[in-house]
Amino acid sequence: MDELPNQDGGYHPVLAVEIGRLRLQNPVMTASGTFGYGQEYTPFVDLGRLGAVVVKGLSLERRDGNPPPRIVETPAGMLNAVGLQNIGVRAFIAEKMPQLRPYNVPVIANIFGETVEEYRRVAEILADCPGIGGIEINVSCPNVKQGGITFGACPDTVQEVTGEVRKATCLPVIVKLTPNVTDVRDVARAAEAGGADAVSLINTLTGMSVDIERRRPRLANVTGGLSGPAIRPIALRMVWQVVQAVRIPVVGVGGIMTAADALEFLIAGATAVEVGTANFVRPAATMEIIAGIEAYLVRHRIGDIAELIGTLKVDAETDAGQAEGC
Amino acid sequence: MDETQAVRGDIVENRAVAPGHFQMSIRLPGSFPTPVPGQFVMVRSADHEEPLLARPFSVYGFQRRRGETAVDLLYRTAGRGTALLSRLEPGARLVVLGPLGRGFAPPEGMKKVILLAGGVGVAPLVFLLRSGRLAGTNACTCYVGARTGEQLTGLELLRGADLHVCTDDGSRAFCGQVTDLLRRDIGGYDPPETMIYACGPSPMIRTLGRLLGDRPIRCQVSLEERMACGLGACLGCAVAVRGESGRKEYRRVCKDGPVFDLREILFASPGGAEEGQQNG
Ligand SMILES: Cc1cc2nc3c(=O)[nH]c(=O)nc-3n(C[C@H](O)[C@H](O)[C@H](O)COP(=O)(O)OP(=O)(O)OC[C@H]3O[C@@H](n4cnc5c(N)ncnc54)[C@H](O)[C@@H]3O)c2cc1C
Ligand SMILES: Cc1cc2nc3c(=O)[nH]c(=O)nc-3n(C[C@H](O)[C@H](O)[C@H](O)COP(=O)(O)O)c2cc1C
Ligand code: FES
Repeated sequence: MDELPNQDGGYHPVLAVEIGRLRLQNPVMTASGTFGYGQEYTPFVDLGRLGAVVVKGLSLERRDGNPPPRIVETPAGMLNAVGLQNIGVRAFIAEKMPQLRPYNVPVIANIFGETVEEYRRVAEILADCPGIGGIEINVSCPNVKQGGITFGACPDTVQEVTGEVRKATCLPVIVKLTPNVTDVRDVARAAEAGGADAVSLINTLTGMSVDIERRRPRLANVTGGLSGPAIRPIALRMVWQVVQAVRIPVVGVGGIMTAADALEFLIAGATAVEVGTANFVRPAATMEIIAGIEAYLVRHRIGDIAELIGTLKVDAETDAGQAEGC
Repeated sequence: MDETQAVRGDIVENRAVAPGHFQMSIRLPGSFPTPVPGQFVMVRSADHEEPLLARPFSVYGFQRRRGETAVDLLYRTAGRGTALLSRLEPGARLVVLGPLGRGFAPPEGMKKVILLAGGVGVAPLVFLLRSGRLAGTNACTCYVGARTGEQLTGLELLRGADLHVCTDDGSRAFCGQVTDLLRRDIGGYDPPETMIYACGPSPMIRTLGRLLGDRPIRCQVSLEERMACGLGACLGCAVAVRGESGRKEYRRVCKDGPVFDLREILFASPGGAEEGQQNG
């Protein structure tokens, strides 16, 4: 597309992207669990300017989550073992959606369950809730025993869960993949085969930290999910691999702190990104990232972000996953 | 209510007040809302990427003077984040998020106010006393304890109050803990007329819970837990409380607290499971 001049002679590049039938005014969403139910960030973020708000993972009934301590900072990141505490899908619809609707921003409900049936029922309940723009299936939570981990690690199960949710709703379905697998492409293909409109990745990497003075784990749950800049190179690599393995759009998540980080994912082929831990460090991070992406497009005279997505120039004839340099 | 802000702050002063203890004064934009005692701020260096997350600190003092707005913190070096803060020089740039959380409720006509502070827990109580919010109560008694005499900080700011001091090592005043001091006097306080404000390390809060037991004395405690967002979004700062119908629920220290009614809190037993304060 050509440059679009405006009054001051500058350009207004097109930032809108599509994930299945879901149109986002820009590619920047919030990552589930890092932005509460949206309202917590209104002093800093104009929710109406986000690509989408992805809310904290929802289950059929409310859940208490894990005992404290639930978080600990680690080099360039943090571990969390919140344990999927949430108010339950019905309370979310009754109490939180009325506050989100006025912003006219697509709300993506991140969902999880302990059984395939539970995933399906949560999706069903959300199916005709006004204001919900899509469903993100969390098959990858490493915190709850017998929870996400077993679903996300097995391609067959991922295909089954995706298929059941697909049947329960007409909303766009995004499957959020766990990095805690041998080859994330197998799981991505399974999600595609199950009828997903998109995949998002990565969820947190399972990690651990020990207090050597007390010889105790720093998290009450012992293990937790690693997020933040530390995981960005892994997330980027996995996104790049999955982009080549599936035909559906890919949403990049993991350690995105700045517009430059987000652009790495877009160039590698992500259609959109989710910003997580950065919200904790700079509450207005999403706004800065949107502005930074726009500034980059202007600077590079790119009229439409579609012209940037997936334009990574790779010189050597390398296959994804074979470039380890070993 | 005034909204929370994320602002640039400049260090005006950052000096050691005791071994491992620092007092920092931060100049803020005039738009920064005046904190309520018990509220806190999250602070990080604007010029360092590590540590990643801001650290929470109670407001120790707050001034608007001759067009300048400043917040004071009293902190001890506990690890990486506070060690970095302690090395910053006046002029260094910070990012300050706040005011955060729900502060102390006023004593509402109670005749007697007790402040109970362990270590740097004295910070929010000093701010409470100096804010004038206790005005109207006839008598305020402060129990302040620290590990050593050197580490007793902020006492000069409690001048005028009925002050009782102790140290764990006996190097100054009474040898023992603030809860021992309170235990000595507790029988003399009339429960319906008394309000206790407390802040200190978790063992102190737990002992306080046992000490008060079934006495119907109201006690507001300021709790600490590790935090990421400070805004109620990440659910990282959970504390177990007795919810409606008596069942265990988690609350967010950053948003639902940091000040809680002592009676709500379910303390973790050393084995990990939560226990009620009465049967601890
Ligand atoms: C609402 C609130 C008010 C606080 N007010 C003050 C204050 O006025 N003065 C002061 O000195 N400290 C205060 N703290 C505690 C202070 O936030 C921690 O000491 C600090 O975050 C430790 O960071 P660090 O990087 O130095 O230590 P880390 O390396 O992160 O940890 C060192 C040790 O401190 C503990 N710790 C880490 N984070 C916290 C935390 N948020 N709360 C309690 N312990 C923690 C860890 O378990 C570990 O044992 C407050 C905490 C909260 C939640
Ligand atoms: C405190 C916290 C809670 C999270 N909760 C969820 C959740 O409920 N559902 C989910 O799919 N992902 C959850 N995540 C994972 C994030 O959405 C994201 O995938 C991950 O943090 C990596 O991105 P980041 O490095 O930008 O944070 C959570 C992450 C954090 C830090
Ligand atoms: S620190 Fe994030 S919810 Fe309290």
